[in-house]
Amino acid sequence: MSFWGQTLEIARVDLRVERRLGDVLRIVLPFAIVALLVFPVALGVDLSAITLVGPAVFWAVGVLFGMQVALRQAANDPPERRDLYSLLGVDPAARFAGRSLSGSVLMVGFLVALLIGMIVLYSPRLPPGWPAPMVLALLLTSIGLTELGTLAGEVTAGLRNRTALASLIVAPLALPLVIGGSQTLESLSRGAVILPWILLLVATDLALAVLGVALARPLEEASR
Amino acid sequence: MKRVQILLATSAAAVAAGLWLAFTSPTDALQGEFSRILNLHAPFMWVAFLAFGLTALASIIWLFTKTPRWDRLGEASAELGVLFTVLGLFTGMVWGQAVWGRAWDWGDARMASTAVMLFVYIGYLALRRATPDPEMRARRSAILGAIAVVQVPLVYFSVYMFRTLHQTPSIRPDGASMPSEMLVALLVNFAAFTYLFVALLFARLEVARAEERLAADGALAGDSVKPPRLSEVKDV
Repeated sequence: MSFWGQTLEIARVDLRVERRLGDVLRIVLPFAIVALLVFPVALGVDLSAITLVGPAVFWAVGVLFGMQVALRQAANDPPERRDLYSLLGVDPAARFAGRSLSGSVLMVGFLVALLIGMIVLYSPRLPPGWPAPMVLALLLTSIGLTELGTLAGEVTAGLRNRTALASLIVAPLALPLVIGGSQTLESLSRGAVILPWILLLVATDLALAVLGVALARPLEEASR
Repeated sequence: MKRVQILLATSAAAVAAGLWLAFTSPTDALQGEFSRILNLHAPFMWVAFLAFGLTALASIIWLFTKTPRWDRLGEASAELGVLFTVLGLFTGMVWGQAVWGRAWDWGDARMASTAVMLFVYIGYLALRRATPDPEMRARRSAILGAIAVVQVPLVYFSVYMFRTLHQTPSIRPDGASMPSEMLVALLVNFAAFTYLFVALLFARLEVARAEERLAADGALAGDSVKPPRLSEVKDV
């Protein structure tokens, strides 16, 4: 089977597992919506402040809970399945690409649902023509975050405190994605060009993709 | 061991000379005495960048050679990088409190990105502590060490990428924006703290080698005693 054939097959299996388990839809998304509800409660009934902070809260909650979506992929990959993939001769780079692909699909769904939740709950003042750039920023952020989560999941595979450790690794490294995503909307509101921020997201995604593919084999050996 | 002691002693003398120059050189007209802090702050951050760069280099070489000494070098350098980043942030905050009126300013992209870089390397060290097997530890930390270094250019270029309070470099290829006495003091401190970093690196590598020898010395007393497993105990 070709590299892309393996990639698509792994992504398909991952998405099928998610369809059966429903972790993202039943657990992470409701938890993230609760987090969206907590912020206005903590801020008090200041409607103008709530309207103002809406997009920022969305990115903060989206990235923090998105990390759980990204790391969930790696957590659902037991050693037995890794061994099976190795014995079947699956290319480690295809495994990275497949997991990143399925994770990105889930992440985009998660972030879009969260965005709708934020718009309903916070009523933010969004600039005209925001949907297309916002969807693009969400897509690029999702890809980067999933690549980062897949890498961190592999680096911490099998460790006792992997959840906390992987989050500690992902959170600071996700900063370019948070900056790129949030500044896209901010630039649009100010009437400034969004190209630099989109380029930042694209560059981060590409860098992570290159690293993920290049380090896939050492990562596979490290996780045994 | 003697080589390390000589290095530490001579680096301490170099740092003392640098500090003497820092406290005797002229001060900035606007910042007054507080400008002396920059003689420490800038070298601390330079050493931190150097240390993280060295960690990345050692990590990449380890991935190709699998030689333990590169793993030891990566760890030692990352530890010192974290130490110097903390010192750099602290001195920056002291200077910020005096000159900007606040220790932490969100308008300063360099400050925020430095804090993020610090946490990336705290994660690197946490990963090492969490992985008991030496081979697996070396491999995983080498991968993270190679990835984490992307933070260094992000921190350095943050002053150009964002509107920020932090000033751009004072020493540029076209010259320095300060009197020669201040420049000499700053450059001596750069050299002294780089030398201190090298000395501390060699000292840390000695400790790492000693730790490895200790681990390789074999079983500790009590290692042969295994607690009984419930499934193996009959007639209880």
